[in-house]
Amino acid sequence: MADTLTVLGLESSCDDTAAAVVRQRAGGRPEILSSIVAGQTELHAAFGGVVPEIAARAHVEKLDLCVEAALSEAGLRLSAIDAVAVTAGPGLIGGLLAGVMMAKGIAAGAGLPLVGVNHLAGHALTPRLTDGLAFPYLVLLVSGGHCQFLMARGVEDFTRLGGTIDDAPGEAFDKTARILGLPQPGGPSVEAAARAGDPRRFALPRPLLDRPGCDLSFSGLKTALLRERDRLMEAQGGLTEQDRADLCASFQAAVTEVLAEKSRRALALYMAEAPAEPAFAVAGGVAANATIRAALEAVAAEAGARFLAPPLSLCTDNAAMIAWAGLERFRLGRRDDMTLSARPRWPLDAASPAMLGGGKRGAKA
Amino acid sequence: MGRGQAERLFPMLEGLLKQAGIAWRDLDGIGVGTGPGNFTGVRIAVAAARGLALALEVPAVGVTMFEALAAGAPLPALACLPAPRGQLALQLFGAGGAGSEPFLATPDEVPARLAEAPGGGALTCIGPEAGRIAALLDASVALPVANPAVAIARIAAARLETVRERPRPLYLRPADAAPPKEAPPAILP
Repeated sequence: MADTLTVLGLESSCDDTAAAVVRQRAGGRPEILSSIVAGQTELHAAFGGVVPEIAARAHVEKLDLCVEAALSEAGLRLSAIDAVAVTAGPGLIGGLLAGVMMAKGIAAGAGLPLVGVNHLAGHALTPRLTDGLAFPYLVLLVSGGHCQFLMARGVEDFTRLGGTIDDAPGEAFDKTARILGLPQPGGPSVEAAARAGDPRRFALPRPLLDRPGCDLSFSGLKTALLRERDRLMEAQGGLTEQDRADLCASFQAAVTEVLAEKSRRALALYMAEAPAEPAFAVAGGVAANATIRAALEAVAAEAGARFLAPPLSLCTDNAAMIAWAGLERFRLGRRDDMTLSARPRWPLDAASPAMLGGGKRGAKA
Repeated sequence: MGRGQAERLFPMLEGLLKQAGIAWRDLDGIGVGTGPGNFTGVRIAVAAARGLALALEVPAVGVTMFEALAAGAPLPALACLPAPRGQLALQLFGAGGAGSEPFLATPDEVPARLAEAPGGGALTCIGPEAGRIAALLDASVALPVANPAVAIARIAAARLETVRERPRPLYLRPADAAPPKEAPPAILP
C-alpha cells in the first residue's frame, strides 16, 4: 500500500453536511487538508429540533457542493485521492442514504475504493487525528444523539463501558432551551444563560448516581426541570431572566455532576487495565461546554490520566473525522463494495448486550 | 423494487455499462429521474447522479417523471401520476410542448383545475393514472412511447449542452413538520 494516503470523507448523518480531505504518511502526523461543514441550523430553527425530512432534502443538494469545496480548498483533484470514506451509520436514514449514494457515485466515477465508516468511530478516533493517541484510551462520546463511554482498543475494537439508557445530554440541552424559550441549538444558549445563574437554587435529580456502573439517564432530569419551570410560571405568570439563568445553571450542574461521577467510574475500570499512556478523551458537541469540560478534566487529573478534548470544530459533526477513520480502516486493508448499506442503527460495540432499542431494527446502542 | 435500491443501483448500472460494452469514462452525461415519487428513492438516484457527475466531470441532467411520460406523446398531453393520500400528481403540456406548473389534486378537483385545458378528445392523458383522469375530462389515453429510464436518457442527451442547474428532487409538497405547539414561557421584566 502507498506510504502516504489521502482520503476524502463525507458526513451527512444528522443536520450537518460535510466533506473533508485528510492525508497521512505511514506513521506520520495526519494533516487535515480541508474540512467543510455546511450546517442546517436555520432550516430547522422554527421546529424546535432536527426534522429528518428537511435534513434529507438539504443533504442531497449540498453534498456535492461541499465535496467540491473540500477538494478545492485542499488544492487537489480526485486523481490525487486514494479512497472515498463515508458515514454509513448510525444516524438519520435520509441523510445517510444521500451520503452513501454520493460516495458511491464519486468512487465509481473516479475508480476509487469506497470505505464505509461508523459515525461513532469517527468521533472516537478523533483523538488519534488531533493528538496521535495510542490505544487503549478511554473516550466519552457525548453529543445530541449519543452518550457512551468507550474503551478504544483498536481502529475497529471498542468496548462500551456504559451509556445513556434514554436521552443524550445534547438532546436534554435542546429540550431545556425549548421549554425556557431560549434559541436552538440549546447547548450554547443554555450555557450562556447559566453563566449568570445560581447552580444551587433548584435541587434537580442526579439520575442513576445511586446505582453502580457507568450507565446514565437524562430524561428524568428534563421532566424535573419542566416541573420547576411550571411551578414558577403558576406562581408568577412567567419567568424572570434570573429564574431562567438559575434553571439553566442548575440543569447544567446536574448534567456535569452525573457525567463527572460516571467518568470517574469509567476511568477506574480503564486504569485497572494499566494502560501504558493513560488518556481520557471527550468527543461530541457537548464537549464544547466549558463547565462540563473543566469537571471532566479534573476527574482525569485525579485518576492520573491525560485529558484531551479536540478543538470544537472536530468535536461537533464534521467530515475530517470520517476521512480519518476511513483512512485508518483503509490502512488495515478494509474496503466496501457498491452494495454498502446505510445503517440507521449501528452500535460500535456489537459484542456488549444492547442497551437501547431492539426488535426488527436492531440495537441502537 | 422497494427496499434495497441503495444497495442495487450501482451493481445494476455496472451491469448495464458492461452490456453496452462501455466504461464510466465513456459517458458524456448522466440523466436522472427527479420524480415526483417516493422521496427516498428519488434522493438515492439524484445523489448517485450528482456524485457520478462530479467524478466524471460531465453534466447531470434532472428529468421529471412528467417529462419522461410526455416525451413523444400527442400534444396537448396531461401526465398523470399517483400521489400519496388519495391525490394525483399532474402536469399539463400544451400544444407547443411547454409544461405548466405541476400540481397535486384529488380526482374531484381535477376538472376545475384543468378548466382551461382543451376537451372533446383533444387532450391526451398519459401515465399510470391516465385512464381514471381521461374519463373525468373526456380525453383520450395514450401509452408512454418508451420506458421511463430510456425517456430520461433521451431527454437528458438533448439537454446536455444547455443544462445549467444540478438535478434536484421534485417535491410537490413541503416536508411534514410543524412548529412546536407549546408557546415559550413569558419572560417577566
